[in-house]
Amino acid sequence: MGREVSESCIDSLLTEMVSTYCNRFYANKPELAARRIEAIGYQVGHQLSERYTMERPRFSDHLEAIKFICKDFWSELFKKQIDNLKTNHRGTFVLQDNHFRWLTRMSIDQSPENGASEEPSIMADNKAVQSMHLYFPCGIIRGALSNLGIPCAVSADISNLPACSFVVRIKA
Amino acid sequence: MQFFGGSEISPSPSVPTTTGNNAHMIYVFNRNGVCLLYREWNRPLHTLNPQQDHKLMFGLLFSLKSLTAKMDPTSAEKGNLGVPQLPGQGCSFHSFRTNTYKLSFMETPSGIKFILVTNPRSGDLRETLMYIYNLYVEYVAKNPLYTPGTPIRCELFNTALDQYVRSIP
Repeated sequence: MGREVSESCIDSLLTEMVSTYCNRFYANKPELAARRIEAIGYQVGHQLSERYTMERPRFSDHLEAIKFICKDFWSELFKKQIDNLKTNHRGTFVLQDNHFRWLTRMSIDQSPENGASEEPSIMADNKAVQSMHLYFPCGIIRGALSNLGIPCAVSADISNLPACSFVVRIKA
Repeated sequence: MQFFGGSEISPSPSVPTTTGNNAHMIYVFNRNGVCLLYREWNRPLHTLNPQQDHKLMFGLLFSLKSLTAKMDPTSAEKGNLGVPQLPGQGCSFHSFRTNTYKLSFMETPSGIKFILVTNPRSGDLRETLMYIYNLYVEYVAKNPLYTPGTPIRCELFNTALDQYVRSIP
């Protein structure tokens, strides 16, 4: 496995993908753009999990599979493991990454100098654009888990950058 | 400290501040003259409003670059004065110094110009400007939320820049 790809290329490709889907293909339909980006992530996660579980035996239960995602899968993708895993033991898991690689360079616009009344809408706009970038990793997690036989729904939470939490809800 | 005979009109050079912030201000322009960033840390005197100030600075550097290239004794081919030049063509102008400040300049191949105004005792700041350019690439060019050609409004870049500038001797 000697071939390598420049990380800047991948970062630029992902940025452009989100930007194209949001601004050109589905210009005024953010839900459709989000679903499309998530579907792309699903395919990627599906195939990556196939690759990274080649020599391993089957997972005994859901927790083992989630732990695989947190440790080995995340290390292969982002060169680090998930920092914090929480569960309610009833099918919901929260995976927290304190320094998510694809968000390290994203920074919120400063608050505008003209009038505090514009702030809430601009902040909401920023949050919307930032959350668009998270549909791809959510899709990756969902694709990987579904390939391991665990159907689920994944959402992301970025209340404090650059830390990022992914909430996985397993469908019973 | 040198004293030139009889001239009391020129103001005394600024002393480096005790907080360690020896840089006065920074301008970043793109190739079309749009001022992408202006930050000041130590500027006691404001003479023009910001738009005029930016235009003046951009015009000044445009003319200086053109002038220095045309006066270059080592280069054989010189176009007419006033012909705009591509970045990298002609000799590159680095800095000028007065008794109250030093202005350092760097232009990247993509046409981004970095101008840093510091106290007159500063040495060669080309590496400093290169480092600031690297900060720009990391935090601005690679920021998914930034549109090229618009003024820079990234918290991460501003914080990193402030921190770095504080450490310039």
